[in-house]
Amino acid sequence: MTQPVIQLHDMTYAWPGQPTLLDIHEFTLQAGEKVFLKGPSGSGKTTLLGLLGGVYLPASGHIRLLGQDLARLSSVRRDRFRADHTGYIFQMFNLLPYLSLVDNVILPCRFSRIRRQRALARHPSLEQAACELLAHLGLADPALLRRPVTELSIGQQQRVASARALIGSPELVIADEPTSALDADSREAFLKLLFAECQAAGSSLLFVSHDASLERLFDRGLSLQQLNRAASAQEVI
Amino acid sequence: MHLLRLALKSLGNRRFSAILTVLAIALSVTLLLAVEKVRTEARASFANTVSGTDLIVGARSGSVQLLLYSVFRIGSATNNIRWDSFEHFAEHPRVAWAIPVSLGDSHRGFPVMGTNHSYFEHFRYGRSQALQLSQGQAFDDLYDAVLGADIARELNYRLGDEIVLAHGTGAVSFVDHADKPFRVSGILERTGTPVDRTVHISLEGMEALHVDWQQGMPARGSARIDAEQARELDLTPKAITAMLLGLNNRISTFAVQREINQYRGEPLLAILPGVALQELWSLLGVAEKALFIVSVFVVLTGLVGMLTAILSSLNERRREMAILRSVGAKPRHIFGLLLLEAASLALSGILLGLGLMYLGLWIGQPLILAHYGLFIQITPPGLYEWQLLGAILCASILMGSVPAWRAYRQSLVDGLSIRT
Repeated sequence: MTQPVIQLHDMTYAWPGQPTLLDIHEFTLQAGEKVFLKGPSGSGKTTLLGLLGGVYLPASGHIRLLGQDLARLSSVRRDRFRADHTGYIFQMFNLLPYLSLVDNVILPCRFSRIRRQRALARHPSLEQAACELLAHLGLADPALLRRPVTELSIGQQQRVASARALIGSPELVIADEPTSALDADSREAFLKLLFAECQAAGSSLLFVSHDASLERLFDRGLSLQQLNRAASAQEVI
Repeated sequence: MHLLRLALKSLGNRRFSAILTVLAIALSVTLLLAVEKVRTEARASFANTVSGTDLIVGARSGSVQLLLYSVFRIGSATNNIRWDSFEHFAEHPRVAWAIPVSLGDSHRGFPVMGTNHSYFEHFRYGRSQALQLSQGQAFDDLYDAVLGADIARELNYRLGDEIVLAHGTGAVSFVDHADKPFRVSGILERTGTPVDRTVHISLEGMEALHVDWQQGMPARGSARIDAEQARELDLTPKAITAMLLGLNNRISTFAVQREINQYRGEPLLAILPGVALQELWSLLGVAEKALFIVSVFVVLTGLVGMLTAILSSLNERRREMAILRSVGAKPRHIFGLLLLEAASLALSGILLGLGLMYLGLWIGQPLILAHYGLFIQITPPGLYEWQLLGAILCASILMGSVPAWRAYRQSLVDGLSIRT
């Protein structure tokens, strides 16, 4: 509980040849926190997630994940750091169509030794770790597990994606509009399941969405536009 | 290992285009291997067909033509040589043995060759191997025939069976020698040469078949001479098609050759089998090279097809790459994935092509033997074949690195964002 999971400090980023897109003075996500980050599309949300994933590097300032300054790592080490400590859930089509449901969930453990070891520390096999997570997320039916992932409903697909993000208990789960394709009722149900599993895995959650109605369910809500000094500067112009 | 599984499953997801790609590579590989196989086997088979014969003598024509009809039963003689010329050289002091060869008749498409006992005694093939009888004996009676192994097997003949020879060398003949049937007296061991597809009869038997013929047509009515009457006649042949000579001393080969070529009795041609073979190869060399180059280009076309299939799939797979990146795949994993994909496609194509080639050989072997007198051995791929296949695999991996590199660049640019 000592290290914040995410720490941004005076961080700026601009795409080559374009004005500064992101300029964030201070942003911290503490361990175990569930934070809602509101941002309409085009607000630099996706770029911020890329920065947090270590895919891009800030132009200035620092991004620290678990106390580690990402800019100080080589691109290969950044890739490994991301694989080891971050789970992702995207808006939709999260799954590889040619893998089974369980294989989709296990995928991060194939690329990260730390997450594989963590999953195996609590379960006899990766398959069982995946099945247990899926069961917690309401996907216990063995007949369902055998179906091709393309035949699942979007809600089911998002729950499989959540299980994949959570397997091996990464410190951080980043969700990018995972509920936008769901109807209002299933959104809350999905979030409750996600919260419970994040808690069980000990993962912090950064949830990015434009849907402000979900904000009340989180520990804390932030607006990217308020956070981002570049955005307000642009509005002034 | 895990990447390979992913690559295979991803290919399985696009199995229709993957199967077509593999098929294209397989067919091109089959073509290349078959061309090379036929080329090398043809050489080996030709070289194996005659051994120990120092000179082949026939009527004056081309040396390659003489070689082809006298030994390989391909094409036909333009002219015969007189019996007394044969006798003259058979008794030449420098000649150890002489085998007369008389061609022109056939049995159900198989060539009939008239000869004498010195054929069984002196003819050699392969590595100086002599002919062996698997059953029965060489011809003794006038109407005895000795069959090559393939004829006996294909037409299911046994010792003592009666066979009717036909005039001419076509598979279908309108004129046969039904009045003088032959009896199978012996069956030869398999040699893997045109001998296996030859019916051997004595020169006298050959003469008896045609004793009552006039101007290339059988006699009619009272002019006919039946099989038993023919036995009473003088059946010394008047002419033969060619002769094979073995010399006492190989050093005198050129001297005897010159003597035959300058023979005053009639225009003759003597050739050294090895030299004539070389001449044949140099004739065929250009065609062989052209075939090889064409088949290499066909293989390249197959690989370019693979390249196209993978490259065109990349755009619709950006999502797949982004998902893989988000679960921890590094750009080099993406590179490896695409490379493995190309390698698996090529390897499947190569293996399938190899299989198709052997299937084709297995089907084509008897047909090629029947039509061209070429015995193609079915052997496991040799060093040369493996080298060719290895080169194809290397080329495919080299080509696969193009889409792999593009996917690598793409995944660096796209990062974790999913684009459609």
